Amino acid sequence: MSPELIIALLAAAVQGAAPILFATLGEMLSEKAGVLNLGVEGVMALSAFAAFIVCHLTGSAVLGLFAGGFAGALLCGLHALVCQVFLGNQVVSGLALTIFGVGLSDFLGTPYVGVGTEGFRQFAVPLLSHLPMLGPVLFRQDAMVYLVYCAPVAVWFLLNRTSLGLGLRATGEMPAAAAAAGLNPQRLRAFGVMAGGFLCGLGGAYLSLAHTHLWSTGLSGGRGWVAVALVIFAFWRPGRAVIGALLFGGVMAFQLRLQAEGTNVPSSLLLMLPYALTVIVLVFSAARAKYLKTGHSAAPAALGVNIEPEG
Amino acid sequence: MTRAQSRTDIGAVDVLPLVRLAGVTKRFGQVLANDGISLSIMPGRIKALLGENGAGKSTLMAMLAGRFQPDDGHIEVAGERVRFASPREAIAAGIGMVYQHFMLVENMTVAENVLLGQEGGFVLHPAAMRRKVGELAERFGLGIDPGARVGGLSMGERQRVEILKLLYRESQVLIFDEPTAVLTPVEAESLFTALRTMSAQGKAIVFISHKLEEVLSLADEIAILRRGRIEGEFLASEIESPSELARRMVGRDVVLDIKREAVVHGRQVLDVRHLSGPGLDDVSFDLKRGEILAIVGVAGNGQQQLVEVVCGLSRPDSGEVDILGQSWAKFFQSRDWKGALAWIPEDRAGLATCRTLNLTDNLLLTTRQGFAQGQWLERARARETAKGIVREHNVQPGNIEAQAWQLSGGNLQKFVLGRELYREPRLMVAEQPTQGLDVSATEAVWQRLLEARKTAGVLLVTGDLTEALTLADRVVVMFRGRVMGLFPVTDTAQVERIGSLMAGLKE
Repeated sequence: MSPELIIALLAAAVQGAAPILFATLGEMLSEKAGVLNLGVEGVMALSAFAAFIVCHLTGSAVLGLFAGGFAGALLCGLHALVCQVFLGNQVVSGLALTIFGVGLSDFLGTPYVGVGTEGFRQFAVPLLSHLPMLGPVLFRQDAMVYLVYCAPVAVWFLLNRTSLGLGLRATGEMPAAAAAAGLNPQRLRAFGVMAGGFLCGLGGAYLSLAHTHLWSTGLSGGRGWVAVALVIFAFWRPGRAVIGALLFGGVMAFQLRLQAEGTNVPSSLLLMLPYALTVIVLVFSAARAKYLKTGHSAAPAALGVNIEPEG
Repeated sequence: MTRAQSRTDIGAVDVLPLVRLAGVTKRFGQVLANDGISLSIMPGRIKALLGENGAGKSTLMAMLAGRFQPDDGHIEVAGERVRFASPREAIAAGIGMVYQHFMLVENMTVAENVLLGQEGGFVLHPAAMRRKVGELAERFGLGIDPGARVGGLSMGERQRVEILKLLYRESQVLIFDEPTAVLTPVEAESLFTALRTMSAQGKAIVFISHKLEEVLSLADEIAILRRGRIEGEFLASEIESPSELARRMVGRDVVLDIKREAVVHGRQVLDVRHLSGPGLDDVSFDLKRGEILAIVGVAGNGQQQLVEVVCGLSRPDSGEVDILGQSWAKFFQSRDWKGALAWIPEDRAGLATCRTLNLTDNLLLTTRQGFAQGQWLERARARETAKGIVREHNVQPGNIEAQAWQLSGGNLQKFVLGRELYREPRLMVAEQPTQGLDVSATEAVWQRLLEARKTAGVLLVTGDLTEALTLADRVVVMFRGRVMGLFPVTDTAQVERIGSLMAGLKE
């Protein structure tokens, strides 16, 4: 392999990682607040369409990006409504959200299949892009990739260095304790779910605005599920999510490259690669959690448990 | 006692109570949980609220903490009438609670737990948070590492975190619900020291307990709560003997007039000889058919361990237990569902029934062998039987499709009793069978237990002396796992001494 090829592969890995990282961080925020959201796949699909259509109609990629984010937040708001107000089962509601989101985006998007958008184009960051190796890999990307560089730091800061994050974590661990401290766990959860939805929406927007530049069905392609698995792999830590997302982005880029080279390996096997990795990664993280025996689980204690009204 | 005496005058001079309860009443359905309670909580004083389980202590404290609103009467804070709509308002008024079950986030640090909701700014500064909490802990003599994760702390340390939460919020009144229940003796001692430090700094301390010794060693003032009423209030220095306290706590006034026909005693159904083990120390007694034997004592003196052995939940460590003429091991190896042992646990909503099962399924919990045809259950017959029990015992609502949680405590208890009687036991163990029940349900349960004597011997474990003396033929008084006395209820001289025996005094 030539150095150029390696650099191209790594740059592709970063691009592949970007939407997954957005979605993983979004899911993490939601789970930290105690709400399991299995609707990420649907949220990404629908927000990808929302971003595409707004960008297509207005010609503004930035407006498209916000449209994707807000579509994600709204859709997750629906999940919050079902779980928090009607005390619906989080797993069922999340699965329904996935089916709903994927289905609706396919339905609405059918007339636009193959229609292109301008979206975000790659540009080189002055100075930084001239760094050896790192420059071409990290700093000749599009604006959304630069945005994703900030996301893990922002999520970490929010969770660990702000009073809002402290309340959010307390709500995910023990809503009763948060309520006893005078906080409103319901509101905090709704915030966590919807802010997480916004990030998932950005992940979806990336797919239609920066990844393909044209609309096609099935854009999300299982990335939402990978994000759900990566939250577990990352032990609910933003820093580790970066590693996980890069791993998956790398495998996806590698798989595409292999297909392009025209190997003898059947393409369906190659396409399977990222999801096989998901399974392996989950086994690995479960084994590691057992090995470490920290005496506590990394998962928020009240994850998936709805807050029952008192009485 | 010198400490208490030197400070008894505080109440006498012109100090406004921090909190005053005036005729506070609270009902749950037909049960009067609190009945016209008036109390003053003074700064710099430690007040003990003494009472048995179900006496209404927790209800009273829940009203102070803003979780319930009184039906009658009112609460005053610093002389002004208040009405707490939520726990938040009570906290804002300076009233803080330390519950038995801690409200702590295990995956967060001590400092984070203390400052949760009180961070004072959007951006957190962990080092400053730890320093603040560390200083506060030091000021009140509560040694703790502010950076430690709560999940790794002992129960005593967790309790200190709870106290720090209140101190950080500058609560003036600190209420403790059975604070030593989860502590080791050493931890309890250091808690007492901390409580005295806080009291010396002007905080008002209220602690709920049923342990006589700790009440006497810690409190400045003692209020006794029984069946929802204040039975008496004293300064600790006035208390002459713990037995007086014990007698007042469990009471003995007869509230119901129950006809108690004599029943001929039959064969021995339970024989306990020199039983020892965790919480039990050389316990011996026997029980015959036609007899009710009451085990009385302040809760936590070995009654629970005794019941667990008799009902087959734990193996006797040493000594012998014979049930229906068989050894313990043999009896529980081949136990019949019918005609043998029935148990009415204290926890009727948790241990005796399943909340979300209907009454037919709850009937089958202990009687399924009676409805089994090979691998199949005769559900139709079970439904008919459940209907019969509901009718015969007047369980409301009279619908067998109702789930256990939908029944009131009294009705659920009547159903459990009906189910256990359906098993036609020859030995019946009833644990606190009327705790928290209203008068009519209590009477119904008592009648059934008396009727059960015709075919069974009844072991009645109760904290209510009235109940024991109304129903029982003989009484066993327990203290710290030992039998302090075993005598017939007709032995008036001994019955007079029950209070002393319960407090561990044999003189």
